[in-house]
Amino acid sequence: MNDPEYTAVLANVVKHFKSGPVLVRAVDGVSLQLPRGKMVALRGPSGCGKSTLLNLFGALDRPDSGDIVVDGIDVGRLKGGDEVDYRRRKVGFVFQMFNLMPSLTALENVMLPMELAGGMGPAARKQKAESLLERVKLAPDRYTRRPTRLSGGEQQRVAIARALANDPALILADEPTANLDSTTGGQVISLLRRLADDKRTVVVATHDNSIAQKADVVISMSDGKLMGKWAEEDSEAESARVSS
Amino acid sequence: MTIFRWAWRALIRAPLRGSLLVGVLAVSIGLALIMITVDGAFAQRLDDIRASVGTDITVRPAGSFGGGVFGFGGPRGGNGPGGALATPTPAPSDADDDSQPTITDDDLQKLTSIPNVASITRVVTDVYQGDTITAGTVTPPGNGGQGGPTFRGPNGQGFSPPIIVTGTDDPNTLSSLATGDTEITSGRSFTTDDAGKNVAVIGQAIADANSLAGGDTFTLNNVSSDGTETGTTTTLTVIGIYSTGTTFGDNGIALPIETERTIFAHTDTVDQAIVKVNNVDNVDQVSNDVKNALGTDKADVTTAESAFTAISSPLSDAKSSSQVGLIAALVASAIIILFSIGIVARQRVREIGILKAIGASNWNVVSQLGIETAFIAIGAALVGAIATFPLAQLVADGLVSDPTTGTGGPATNVGGPGGGGGGFFVAGAGGAANGTNSLLGSVDVAVSPSVFAYALAIALGLALIATVIPAWYVGRVRPAEVLRYE
Ligand SMILES: Nc1ncnc2c1ncn2[C@@H]1O[C@H](COP(=O)(O)OP(=O)(O)O)[C@@H](O)[C@H]1O
Ligand SMILES: [Mg+2]
Repeated sequence: MNDPEYTAVLANVVKHFKSGPVLVRAVDGVSLQLPRGKMVALRGPSGCGKSTLLNLFGALDRPDSGDIVVDGIDVGRLKGGDEVDYRRRKVGFVFQMFNLMPSLTALENVMLPMELAGGMGPAARKQKAESLLERVKLAPDRYTRRPTRLSGGEQQRVAIARALANDPALILADEPTANLDSTTGGQVISLLRRLADDKRTVVVATHDNSIAQKADVVISMSDGKLMGKWAEEDSEAESARVSS
Repeated sequence: MTIFRWAWRALIRAPLRGSLLVGVLAVSIGLALIMITVDGAFAQRLDDIRASVGTDITVRPAGSFGGGVFGFGGPRGGNGPGGALATPTPAPSDADDDSQPTITDDDLQKLTSIPNVASITRVVTDVYQGDTITAGTVTPPGNGGQGGPTFRGPNGQGFSPPIIVTGTDDPNTLSSLATGDTEITSGRSFTTDDAGKNVAVIGQAIADANSLAGGDTFTLNNVSSDGTETGTTTTLTVIGIYSTGTTFGDNGIALPIETERTIFAHTDTVDQAIVKVNNVDNVDQVSNDVKNALGTDKADVTTAESAFTAISSPLSDAKSSSQVGLIAALVASAIIILFSIGIVARQRVREIGILKAIGASNWNVVSQLGIETAFIAIGAALVGAIATFPLAQLVADGLVSDPTTGTGGPATNVGGPGGGGGGFFVAGAGGAANGTNSLLGSVDVAVSPSVFAYALAIALGLALIATVIPAWYVGRVRPAEVLRYE
């Protein structure tokens, strides 16, 4: 079940949207393997299907067809409690718009996934949240601030800390720097880079080439399909070559 | 308990949204509560009125209705709520010509065997024309115009309003005859021991005009059957004084029926009989039995229901406006609430998406929203319930703004130009209208603490609705949909 080499394996994943009379082939037959402990850049122009693919990874949406297997879990067919559990423990999401809970402080935002997952006392949660915020280099005087009183860069750091709260194997970051200036964006990317160095698999969707340069693997996407060598039929062999 | 903490935290950290929702909800809950309270008060008052008059059946000789005291060539007194309130419109004895059917004690005896009849009270009424006592001055309401403070007879001469002498088995029955409530203000009423004795319970106006008090005596001229005075008198002792609240109603004398018959030379006829039924539900049945026993050519049988309808119609109107108000309040609340939910939901769809994306179950999200809503609804219920206390009476008073006052005043003027007896009738109607005023004015809205229970029920109902809809939404929404941005 648990493939030691790959965090995730996608086979022929399809996700189409009906936009009025138009059928949008957001993800149109994608097959790939995500090597474990690497930073993967998912690159492509706006509207090519990056977010859709990331959402499928994170069980924020379901594919029309095809298989998505993450750590042995058939993500595309998760239901009810299993789906909730997957979102809690297996993946951590970092969004372009940060998406922190507005009523919670930075610290509370990081503790929230732990509270949802349960199994940790309040003191332990607080301690872990503080250490995570320290790790993303948020100034301690910001811990008790709510998102509206944090800068974009600070909010994104909190979001990364929150994504790490339950130690997921897979971090999914959808254009995490798009709303940040380049310096702050660079800092966020370094943070993500370091997570990959700590043997976590990090997928960053971006249309920014400079970010792609920091990645171990770059996957290009266009019109819902993977480009270049990823587009070839025998994707298993290709990905093996790339990841080695 | 974590959920409670989350909900509470979300609430107090968005105090503006919270208090706005509480405020909006409080207004609608308060409206609903006020209307429920007012409606209940009206219903209670209607029940009270029904309870007091509802079991009475009035039996009169056929055709006598309206040919009565107020006649004097003027319009009939029986129309409209005011006229109906002035009910006594009894046929005076001089109207008892041969063509008129009569009701006798023997006839009434037949009624005693009808099931569910609780009591039968005989009533004989006459206008006293003698000069041994004088009537109190009636001041017409809306006093103005040619009607003037004193009444004019058919010839334009001033005359005292007629003194109505009523003989009855039970003077308590007078309360259902007179306008408003008849109250013994001093002395006592009759007892069965007084039957046939020369005692009287007199109206306040008579007492004042003749300086009579309890224990005093006065005389009435005896009258023969053709209406002329016989030259003999009867001396009566005042045992009590009653008041109806109107000078008109107080220009009367109540006697034991046998005494009245002796003075006015009646044998065994009655002008009307009040049949009391043991239960409101049996009134129709008894009424039919009475009609069958007496024959419709002999007797007019009216249930108090018609009088009740007349008395209560302004109140019923007010009640239906309060019900319309209630419905309007509920519809308004529903719209406001759905609107607020809409705003909140829109605002919070993203939060719901985030929560689900980071691993909140549907239950986590729904229970948090539900508890938040419940907090808001309960807060609003409290505010609304508290506001009900001072406001309910105001609303009730506003709804019972009296519809008869407007007609009472101008009507008085109508009597003037005619110069005739019509003026008197109108004064009677005016007095009756006043009676209606005081009757309706007495709708007392007692806000019971149970409004809190109602408020809570409404609040929890709303909270439930306001949670079920989002719950349905939360259950089916996919985070990807709501977290999209273009
Ligand atoms: N829920 C949706 N309904 C309709 N169309 C959608 C939906 N989500 C995405 N799309 C469309 O799918 C395509 C891919 O979108 P997306 O994955 O967001 O692209 P990217 O993230 O690469 O910019 C776009 O044309 C977008 O408009
Ligand atoms: Mg995107």
